[in-house]
Amino acid sequence: MIKKLTFILTALAVVLVAGCGNNSSNGTNDGDDKAKHKIAYVTNGIDPFWDLCAAGVRQAESELGGVECEIHFPTKGLADQKSIMESLMAKGIAGMAVSPVDADGQTKFLNEIASQTKLITHDADAPKSERLVYIGTDNYKAGRALGRLVKEAIPDGGEVAIFVGRLEQLNARQRRQGVIDELLDRPSQTLGQIKFDEVAKVFKGEKYTIVDTRTDNFVMDAAKSNAEDAITKYENLACMVGLFAYNPPRCLQAIKEAGKLGKIKVCGFDEDDALLQAIKDGHAHGTISQQPWNYGYQSVKVLKSILDGDNSVIPPNKFIDLGYKSVTAKNIDEFWSEKNKMAALGKKKD
Amino acid sequence: MPKEPPLLEASSIGKQFPGVRALHNVNLTLFQGEILSLVGENGAGKSTMMKLLAGIHLPDDGAIKLNGDLVEITNVREAQKYGIALIHQELNLSDNLDIAANIFLGNEPHKNGVMDHNRIHRESAQFLKRVGLEFPTDTLVADLTIGHQQLVEISKALSVDARIIIMDEPTSSLSQKESKKLFEVIRGLKSQGISIIYISHRLGEVIDLSDRVSVLRDGENAGELVGDEITHDAMVKLMVGRDLSQFYNRTVTALGEKIFEVKGLRTPPYPDNEISFSVRSGEILGIAGLVGAGRTELLQTIFGITPAVGGSMKLNGKELMPKSSLEAIDSGIVLAPEDRKRHGLILEMNVRENTSLARLSRDQKVGIIDFNNEYELAEKTIKELKIKTPHSSQVVQYLSGGNQQKVVLGKWLSMNPSLLLLDEPTRGIDIGSKQEIYKLMEELAASGVAVIFVSSEMEEVLGMADRVLVMHEGAVTGDLSREQLNEEAVMQLATGNKAAA
Amino acid sequence: MNKNTIGILSLFVLIFGFTWYSNENFVNGYNMTNLVKWSSLYAIMGIGVAFVIITGGIDLSIGSVIGLVASLLALAIKYEWNPTLTVVLLLGLSIVIGLMHGLLITKVKLQPFVVTLCGLLFYRGISRWLTDNQTMQFPGTENLDSFFSGKLLIFGKFALSSPFFFLVVVAIIAAFFLNRTIWGRYLLALGNNEDGARYSGIQTDRLKIAAYVICSFLAGVSGLLFAYELDSVQPAQTGEFYELYAIAAAVLGGCSLRGGQGAIFGVIIAAAVIRLLRNSINLVGISTHLEFSIIGLVILGGVTADELIKRIVAKRRSKQISTSKS
Repeated sequence: MIKKLTFILTALAVVLVAGCGNNSSNGTNDGDDKAKHKIAYVTNGIDPFWDLCAAGVRQAESELGGVECEIHFPTKGLADQKSIMESLMAKGIAGMAVSPVDADGQTKFLNEIASQTKLITHDADAPKSERLVYIGTDNYKAGRALGRLVKEAIPDGGEVAIFVGRLEQLNARQRRQGVIDELLDRPSQTLGQIKFDEVAKVFKGEKYTIVDTRTDNFVMDAAKSNAEDAITKYENLACMVGLFAYNPPRCLQAIKEAGKLGKIKVCGFDEDDALLQAIKDGHAHGTISQQPWNYGYQSVKVLKSILDGDNSVIPPNKFIDLGYKSVTAKNIDEFWSEKNKMAALGKKKD
Repeated sequence: MPKEPPLLEASSIGKQFPGVRALHNVNLTLFQGEILSLVGENGAGKSTMMKLLAGIHLPDDGAIKLNGDLVEITNVREAQKYGIALIHQELNLSDNLDIAANIFLGNEPHKNGVMDHNRIHRESAQFLKRVGLEFPTDTLVADLTIGHQQLVEISKALSVDARIIIMDEPTSSLSQKESKKLFEVIRGLKSQGISIIYISHRLGEVIDLSDRVSVLRDGENAGELVGDEITHDAMVKLMVGRDLSQFYNRTVTALGEKIFEVKGLRTPPYPDNEISFSVRSGEILGIAGLVGAGRTELLQTIFGITPAVGGSMKLNGKELMPKSSLEAIDSGIVLAPEDRKRHGLILEMNVRENTSLARLSRDQKVGIIDFNNEYELAEKTIKELKIKTPHSSQVVQYLSGGNQQKVVLGKWLSMNPSLLLLDEPTRGIDIGSKQEIYKLMEELAASGVAVIFVSSEMEEVLGMADRVLVMHEGAVTGDLSREQLNEEAVMQLATGNKAAA
Repeated sequence: MNKNTIGILSLFVLIFGFTWYSNENFVNGYNMTNLVKWSSLYAIMGIGVAFVIITGGIDLSIGSVIGLVASLLALAIKYEWNPTLTVVLLLGLSIVIGLMHGLLITKVKLQPFVVTLCGLLFYRGISRWLTDNQTMQFPGTENLDSFFSGKLLIFGKFALSSPFFFLVVVAIIAAFFLNRTIWGRYLLALGNNEDGARYSGIQTDRLKIAAYVICSFLAGVSGLLFAYELDSVQPAQTGEFYELYAIAAAVLGGCSLRGGQGAIFGVIIAAAVIRLLRNSINLVGISTHLEFSIIGLVILGGVTADELIKRIVAKRRSKQISTSKS
């Protein structure tokens, strides 16, 4: 019995690996393969956010030339990401850009990778590891910017609830801390030395109260029912803050079904179409976009430079801050068309 | 008869299983160097009693004394310590090991975990000598006949210094020659001062072998016979609680047409043996034979559970060869299987649901169960078969064996079968129900149903059958009419001795 | 209503009361609407797997079938297929999936665990491959939207949503099938004792296949409902682990994994208990991280209590019988 099962699993694995192989090999073939750096771009999950990053990767690939990039979306968190990275190493890859699922816990493993290949991090950093550079947004600053959006949305103050996929991720914790610090008018903290507040705690400021932070582990129905339950529990909820791209749309769904559209404000992160539409319609106040295509583009660009022997791209603090963009009703049209343009560009390449 | 205090004395033993009172106030004594036979019908409590002595079950009531000391035998190891060894009907040897390894299995002499091979083989050889088995001790058990394996079991008992050896139906799968050899060994053991408790259905053996016979009936002591008192009739009388002639009160009815005919039937386990026979309407045909003779397999093939690999069958003049039980049932053949609990009943369902199970597909309307009809059917069955149950919603696993069997029969009788197959219909059933089932068989036969029953109980076969087929190793070795029937003839045929017929 | 159902119902009432006591908003219309909706979605899956569990089998592929159906639905909408036709085809597909499971289990005689475990992997892989593993925004289609995720306002803010009406239909048919038809009886019989059922002339293979078909079909229905409810489909994650919730609901609702036992009403209440626990955890303000542990503990407690009660009942019965005999 066990033999049979092992056989089937092995067969499945072979099929899957073969499938992956096909995907990567149908990339650009218009140059000299030898001259091309083979690199990989590894995300921390699947999300439209990563699709846009992938678009940037493809754009860089074609614009810069001389580099070929595999893109991987681990679906099952830490273990899955690790095994993908391991098989990439086994395959032999010149450089890798990764968004670590659990920065601290993975340090040792990341160092192992860094010893064998050019490793950079993007989107989420692993500051204790020996990655060459981190490309991303100062998520704490972005969080504070999100906090400012909340202040704009409910200038008179009120109860705020935060929704997020996982808090194991450093970027999620930084964003959350940024939002909390901004709403409580605390002094700004420096990235890398942030003191994080615990999860199960209510934070009461002068005007704003952060009543809850709910995690859903990327499970959609949990994300939605978390939003629903918060609306039930906090009658005076004034604003819902979604830290991951799929959170704000779930909040909006729940608000709509509760008949409280416009009464409960929504501020979000990233650029889900449903959220952008809501901003346009006035149902959501705004979002902080990291312009993900920049992530993909810059990751490829930086890796290529490093592989070409040009280390000048690495700043002394090993952090390339791509900044963020606040999107509200004022600049929604301009932003959305740029996003669509990038998305289309990425798709065309595939 | 030795008159010193008994070696073993069990008094007022009681044992209860869920839904069954297995033993009640049973007394048993055994003296040193004595061969005590324990007889009784299936379900009388013999095996339970022996399992209590061997530490497999614990008694609920009563006391066991060994050499006058009160003991409590809580597990098999402890029983061994007291010198009690039980040899099961199905042997417990490891086929893949040699004789010596089997004899010392679990008791290997060792030094710091390293087995002392020489000692194992040396001592095994001595034990084999005591039971008269002349094989090298490194012979694989798989290469021995059943009879020889039995002797290895006995050697194993001797290896743990057993003073009391209990044998549960040791001859049930032995040839006559092998049985004779076994008896010699048993007498030899007796002369070495070992006490034997011998359980058997074969009363002839019991008469030959026993110093004393204790009879159990329905989990209670039915009586004791010593020396010359040990006769066939006396034992049967105690076992069934009345005279045999009264018990199997068979009124033979006139037989009708041949309604079922089997020609050259070959069953999957014995594809080389062709079986042919026929049954008349109103006839009760018994099938006798030893365990493993292929009787159950024959019934299962007729019933379509294990479809035949060759041959033909005819029921009421129509050719049939059922590929499933559904086909057999639809053409009027039903089977009350040997293993009631596994095959005959849905134990966790109630009486009503069990009685209607086969009929449902006939009584349905577009797949919907007619509950009134079902209820009436159940009530009628309970009344007609005198099923003892508080109500028709009683779950059948809580009924006694006899009543469970009646539920099985009730299920089939409501289908008005032309051919009723019964496999060990009275196994594990109390005397009262047994008699009712016999009566039922007669009534059915009288109403024109052909009845075929398989039984391992000689009394039952002799008492109930109009005609007896005897099987041996998948083949029919004899077809005896009522006039030709006697225990000796059946035994000879059942052990493959064709000349006896 | 049997004893198991009373047990699970009391558990439901207990948690309901506790949550109400902790947070009075719990019983407001909006929350009740949500609770009923989610419970219904889970209960439909639970009823499906209950049929398989009654036969003594198991179906681990439910979540992946949900994911596959939802992904294909999103794809079809993206490519502007006729939505109604798509829905019919997808339900057909889920029936075919169940049929395959049933045939492999009864005819090739593979173990249900293995067959459906491979199904779990296979359908998930297919979903990801067909959709390129892209999260699908789910624009929906006007008429089907209200069919699959519509709401009927009852009073105040309390509304009954489509999944509830689906559940009502499914539950009535399922309970009728199980308790009133011969096939339901056969299913229970074969779950208790497959050989016994066969010896009574029941064609056990066909019924087993039917059970797997019912299970996959209801997984397919759930897939459609989940897709419309969430307006978003993630091929790699939609429906993941739902089989475990479904199995938990079935077991907690009185189905024995040994087969032969099942009560549709119990499964519905058990599904409600599981959803209620989640709701309660959020409303009472327990860390979401404890959610799985709490659900696991409650289910364990539920089945342990159930087993103990059964043992006591059995003991009492056998005593009754033996005393009436002597």
